[in-house]
Amino acid sequence: MAAIAAERYTGASIKRSEDPRILTGAGRYVDDIKLPGMLHAAFVRSPMAHARVLSVDVSAARELPGVVAAFTGADMEAMTVPGPDALMALMGWAGPMPEFTLLATDKVRFVGDPVAIVVAESRYLAEDGCELVEVDYEDLPPVVDAAFALDPASPPLFANLGDNIARPHARSEFGDVSATFAGADLVTDFHIDVHRHQNVPMEGRGCVASFDAGQGVMTIYAATQSVHVTKIAVAMRLGMEQDKVRAVAGDIGGSFGLKIGASREELAAAAASRHVGRPVKWVEDRGENLSASGQAREESFDVRAAVSNDGDLLGLDVKMVIDTGSYPGMGAMVPGIVEAMFPGPYKLAALGFESTAVTTNKACYVAYRGPWASETFVRERVLDLIAKDLGLDPFEIRLRNAAPRTDPPASMITGRPLVGVTTLEALERVAQLVDFPAFRRRQAEARAEGRYLGIGVATFIEAAPGPRTPEAGSGPMGNEFMRLQLTEDGIVVLFTGQMPHGQSHQTTLAQIAADEFGVPFEQVRVVVGDTDVVPFGLTGGSRSATMTGGVALHGARQLKAKVLDFAAHLMEVSPQDLLITDGNVWVRGDPATAIAVSEVARRAASGPFDGDVDAKLEVEAAFDGGEGGWSGGTHCAIVDVDVETGIVTVERYVAAEDCGALINPAVVEGQIRGGVAQGIGAVLLERSAYAEDGSFQSATFMDYLMPTACDVPRIEIEHLETVPLDADVNFRGVGEGGMIVAPPTVVNAIEDALSPFGVRIYEQHLPPARILELIAAADLGG
Amino acid sequence: MDAITMRVNGATCTGSPEARKTLADFLRDDLNLTGTHIGCEHGVCGACTVIVDGRAVRSCLMLAVQAAGTEVTTVEGLAPDGGLGPLQQAMWDSHSFQCGFCTPGFVMQATAFLSDHPDADEQQIREALSGNICRCTGYQSIVDGVLLAAQRNRQAQP
Repeated sequence: MAAIAAERYTGASIKRSEDPRILTGAGRYVDDIKLPGMLHAAFVRSPMAHARVLSVDVSAARELPGVVAAFTGADMEAMTVPGPDALMALMGWAGPMPEFTLLATDKVRFVGDPVAIVVAESRYLAEDGCELVEVDYEDLPPVVDAAFALDPASPPLFANLGDNIARPHARSEFGDVSATFAGADLVTDFHIDVHRHQNVPMEGRGCVASFDAGQGVMTIYAATQSVHVTKIAVAMRLGMEQDKVRAVAGDIGGSFGLKIGASREELAAAAASRHVGRPVKWVEDRGENLSASGQAREESFDVRAAVSNDGDLLGLDVKMVIDTGSYPGMGAMVPGIVEAMFPGPYKLAALGFESTAVTTNKACYVAYRGPWASETFVRERVLDLIAKDLGLDPFEIRLRNAAPRTDPPASMITGRPLVGVTTLEALERVAQLVDFPAFRRRQAEARAEGRYLGIGVATFIEAAPGPRTPEAGSGPMGNEFMRLQLTEDGIVVLFTGQMPHGQSHQTTLAQIAADEFGVPFEQVRVVVGDTDVVPFGLTGGSRSATMTGGVALHGARQLKAKVLDFAAHLMEVSPQDLLITDGNVWVRGDPATAIAVSEVARRAASGPFDGDVDAKLEVEAAFDGGEGGWSGGTHCAIVDVDVETGIVTVERYVAAEDCGALINPAVVEGQIRGGVAQGIGAVLLERSAYAEDGSFQSATFMDYLMPTACDVPRIEIEHLETVPLDADVNFRGVGEGGMIVAPPTVVNAIEDALSPFGVRIYEQHLPPARILELIAAADLGG
Repeated sequence: MDAITMRVNGATCTGSPEARKTLADFLRDDLNLTGTHIGCEHGVCGACTVIVDGRAVRSCLMLAVQAAGTEVTTVEGLAPDGGLGPLQQAMWDSHSFQCGFCTPGFVMQATAFLSDHPDADEQQIREALSGNICRCTGYQSIVDGVLLAAQRNRQAQP
């Protein structure tokens, strides 16, 4: 296969086009936008986790000089159209649909639930106005854990649901579960919890909504992963035709899954803008971001494992409960993905999987980088625990159970074929990079000195995009579109619905198109962030490397063919005789014939031409993913656990990864390191904390601790040689992998470090106090 | 609200901010210098870092009126005409950043630190940057950018 030939830009760490503006403070984030007459919104938010709202009095706020308007939940309902959560509707959710209002009307459902909006000349004055709003609440019993939510006696958060079940219990079986368990040498049970934590992008949510009453057009400047999804959400809720809504985005300060669609606050700000007749800006502060924007990962698993004495993981039977918080987000959809991915790259013969999703009085469950990541955490923990039960080495048990690459490929018991997976290569590369026997000797010496080092390994695969499936095609995660144009100045312009928020698409897509078309990198421009201009798209699910890289490649090829057809007419040769290199069109073998691409473009724009000459140098391309493929890898961490303080230091971190052909190695490595940092943060530092009464305890960075430059080590990354599956497009996604596999890698290492104490770990959040508790409990024989 | 005067990026600026208005908001709203970003408003994340009278400060924790009579440098003032200074160039070369929201804070913090500690090693740089939070990069590429800038600065010395 010619796919991975050395090319000029693709595969090189080309410097980013984004950086000159980023480094000089010239980026345009949503809070940088200032429109004439713009007002600022702030929200009155519930201090109660669960309460009836008896009355809301905004009259004093309205009187405050500088306050232009204040609206209650009832006011907001009169200005908007009730409906389901837009993202769930777009994803085709057919389960329970909670009925809710943008601002609380009859009840509040979590601490931070917006109750009223105040619009004023400045954010300072809007907050002053919020302090004058009087709300009368009647306390209701809070539902703060899944156990109570599952109890039919718990007060339902949503009257139309009648209970607190966001997705009813469902069970599937793959393979012969009962026979597999009956025939196993050993059956063990584990209960594993993953704690609530969250995205925390450095820029929170926000928008500027501007309604042009004359044209009846709403323009929403957004921080979003898809301008088109934002536009659809705004149009739906405001009862507007979609062509009357325009969503625009500039630079976005990170998201990691948070900023998709439009939140209740953004929709309320848009409705307020339309009503008041002036632009309204709302940008959340960090307290709002931590308490109200949404959280993720609060899931618990009862796992039963069927194992052979030699360490074959034969079958798993899993019961999952996911705490989806209050308002609808992504939570109810997560179990389906967890189920599908649970076997991972292993030879699992049988899987029983059942799940229930519950609603609780907490912020809603949002997508967070690898929303299904718990499947890797639980599976990789179980492998280590089984290894310990059987007296086997955790690395060897993975080698034994990893599915080898066969032709035809083996399939996960849940269906997807393991085409091109390089799991065994990843494991073997880690073993080359990390001298395990030498580490074990060092570990033993350290233990003799009272120091506790540990090593952990974990392996994953991610469907980024996954192997070709016949049924994929439509919907927000379906085919990818791109418009490509050769402008009159000779610039190749790519119009994409992708919405980069750190992924460097304006660089990577230009690399691909420049190579395919034959112009210098500087002669390609990538346009994003305007629903009037770009086709539908969504940045998420680690899809863009394959889907957008692929449509850029094929689209550039199609545009080039069109340009060569036109140039052939100009130059009076056959298109087959023409090449484009370095921005020039020329006849193969005769460099003297070279004409600049820009000159060809200028000529095309200066028609008219005969009817059979196509001088419109533009194509609309679509790409279905080609052969697709898996991303994956094996990570290894060495940690030092201080058993006096409970502090864990990550001494060394190694990642062997396969994300297909690399477009830009520096970009790939940045994605991996950022994901690993979030995984380290999740284990050692981060927790979205609710008290038993539902009050929120981590609304500042003094409570929600984030990893700093002193917490994340140098991460050594090895790029594995991938198995090309497609003739042209073998780029695969890498955005989520680091965050998926780092938590079990680190937890496995911590358990290894504490094995002299007999510690076993069935959870993911291990701050110093918890480490000390685990040691103490194990010492007591617990 | 009495008028205050300060020099920002070499230019004299006046304004009449409310007493409670932070320096960060004053720079962004009154002076239209939106390069300084606001990440937490409680002094932990460092995105709002600017240099006041030669020292890196968190502009979200400082009132605008406290900056009266001072020399303030923001990220926009580091290099003339929107060009790149040596630290910024080194960071570009090192692929230091992704979403860019934390970037001005890191650039200002590193600028202040390197001017006082031009020979800092990696560990010292990490500690100096530990008061700036980045969610995208895992910090390694940022540290590499600062190390590269320091190395080039040493090489440029006669």
